[in-house]
Amino acid sequence: MDWTSWVISTVSRALAFGVPLLWGTLGEIYAERAGVVNLGVEGMMILGAFMAFAVTQSVGSPGLGLFCAAMVGGVAALVHAFLTVTLRANQYVAGLALSMFGLGLAGLLGRGWEGKPLSSTLPYLTVPGLSRIPVLGPMLFQDQTVLTYIGLVLAVLLWILLFRTRWGVAIRSVGENPATADALGINVTLVRYLCVVFGGLLAGVGGGYLSVAYRPAWTEGMTAGMGWIVIALTIFAAWDPLQAIWGAFFFGALYHLSYRLQAFLAPELLKLMPYFFAVVVLAASGFGRARWRRRAPAALGVPYVRGER
Amino acid sequence: MKRVLVAVLAVAVLGSLALAATKIKAGFIYVGPIGDYGWTHAHDVARRIVDEKYDWLETVYVESVPEGEVETYIDLLVRQGCNVIFTTSFGFMDGTLAAAQRYPDVIFAHCSGFKRWDNMATYMADFYQVYYLNGLMAGALTKTGKIGYVAAFPIPELKRHISAFTIGVREVNPKAEVHVRWIYEWYNPAAAKEATEALIAEGCDVFAFTEDSPTVVQVAAEKRLPSFGHYSPMYDFAPDYVVSGQIVHWDKIYEDFLLKIYKGVYTTKNLAHVDYWWLLAQGAVEVGAKPGMLINPKYEAALKNYVINHPTFGKISVYDLVYIRLNQMADPGITFDPFQGPVYDRKGNLRVPEGMWMSYDALITMEWAAAGIVGPWPGEP
Repeated sequence: MDWTSWVISTVSRALAFGVPLLWGTLGEIYAERAGVVNLGVEGMMILGAFMAFAVTQSVGSPGLGLFCAAMVGGVAALVHAFLTVTLRANQYVAGLALSMFGLGLAGLLGRGWEGKPLSSTLPYLTVPGLSRIPVLGPMLFQDQTVLTYIGLVLAVLLWILLFRTRWGVAIRSVGENPATADALGINVTLVRYLCVVFGGLLAGVGGGYLSVAYRPAWTEGMTAGMGWIVIALTIFAAWDPLQAIWGAFFFGALYHLSYRLQAFLAPELLKLMPYFFAVVVLAASGFGRARWRRRAPAALGVPYVRGER
Repeated sequence: MKRVLVAVLAVAVLGSLALAATKIKAGFIYVGPIGDYGWTHAHDVARRIVDEKYDWLETVYVESVPEGEVETYIDLLVRQGCNVIFTTSFGFMDGTLAAAQRYPDVIFAHCSGFKRWDNMATYMADFYQVYYLNGLMAGALTKTGKIGYVAAFPIPELKRHISAFTIGVREVNPKAEVHVRWIYEWYNPAAAKEATEALIAEGCDVFAFTEDSPTVVQVAAEKRLPSFGHYSPMYDFAPDYVVSGQIVHWDKIYEDFLLKIYKGVYTTKNLAHVDYWWLLAQGAVEVGAKPGMLINPKYEAALKNYVINHPTFGKISVYDLVYIRLNQMADPGITFDPFQGPVYDRKGNLRVPEGMWMSYDALITMEWAAAGIVGPWPGEP
């Protein structure tokens, strides 16, 4: 087996598998940058997956399906925002509840939708011209959906927004020191609501990708833990949208290689590989001088009450 | 003396009348959600069939029960008045046995295990014969000589299936290889997808699998490659690419078992040796892309044109061979078994001597890999 086929399949699969992770992670980065941990990603993704499938199957438009997936993710996130920002509930508990609620609700609504192939799926693209480039063409410009490219552009735009605009400063200051932000006239509650809901929109699209493109069918629990990988990737990416690209695709590549390399290495070890790297990164982030700790939003997980410190 | 006899007779008659008039309430305990479109889904389809069929039967179920908590749910079902309880996961075995000892008046049946009691039977519908038949077809359809197999866990059940499949492949295509990838999960569509993609990258062009989702069929179809469905009928997922597959009919077992309870054949005293191990001959499993469609018509020509020189049957098409082998295994007087000696493992050891068949015990504890299997094989002897 020559090396080009290895490189091509690894990169191509890394992109395809990394898409839902990238979208979910970009959303979670925004929520956490504003100081709100949302462990409900798994729930928002599965609701998005179900909604995208149901709408696409009924109407025949994957685009509309993905739009509705974003909406349902956004609504679920709105509930989380209401609980954690307005009612100041414990963010971790509320997020866990959202995950369980989403899994349960999607399973209930999904009764009767299982075992049906999707009539019209989100098409895989072959980019004209670019796909003919040797190696690079099949690697990057074939067998991907439009969500791969939108996701990449979105990551860059979100990085610019976060680090190069006044809005980004507002979001980050709410996550770092909400009292000061409040004193400067930033509406802490509004910023947190917007960021959490935005995170839900992206998680919904990530889930929708699974059911209308990646594996076009609905089955209960089909996200199978991706939402939790997103939580880990958010830390892995050090709350930076550009690093989320590498994180998501690195994880995608590891995931693909864990099956590709089975012919040479013990499958039990390979199965551990992605999680092993996640643990390594989390451990590295625990050391005081590591960049990660400096970059974690200081007010992450802390409800803001005006006048309290 | 006479009076005693009359009394005994009266009790017996009244007792059987009372039993005939009694309704059976059967509770089903599932390990997964009924929407998995795999194992639990198939059991629930069967439950609905028997519930419709017998007016003296009422059924209830609980789904997604963690394996360690089966006893709690058995308590719940007994309190709800269930007098027959089915537990449908290997991991429920010890919990079911303990409950059977605590509730001697309730009948239990445990799926896929090996522990029984006076009031606890076991049952299983096994696919190894069907995998063998699919292997015959796969061997005829591969052009690269590499067939991909996505497998859940390296346990005897799957090793038996993969080996039976590979024996079928090699019978018609002695040089073909079956490449195996393990995903270590019963249900994980993303893992199944990436495993399939990895096999495609290795050059495999026909696919079979043992895990609980239609993913492999869908991924293969995207690349225009044929595959074999598993567990539920998967024809509709890729009508042009599903050649055949394994289909289960748990209802056949449930029907038989419940009817025998209703008629008083099975009681809470005589189940210690009741073990259903149902195969093609009993109709508990079927080979086909969907019920009634043994071979997808789109692949009939290819299989008819693939003619081999068979040691037993001489010049024969694979299409005809499939039907002959099916009849040999489906007729009540079974005259063929996939693991009919001589069978060698991939290390060259003779596993089944000439003229011998494997015993039931050897089948359910099987660890070796048939010749032709490529890839890791944890626990290989």
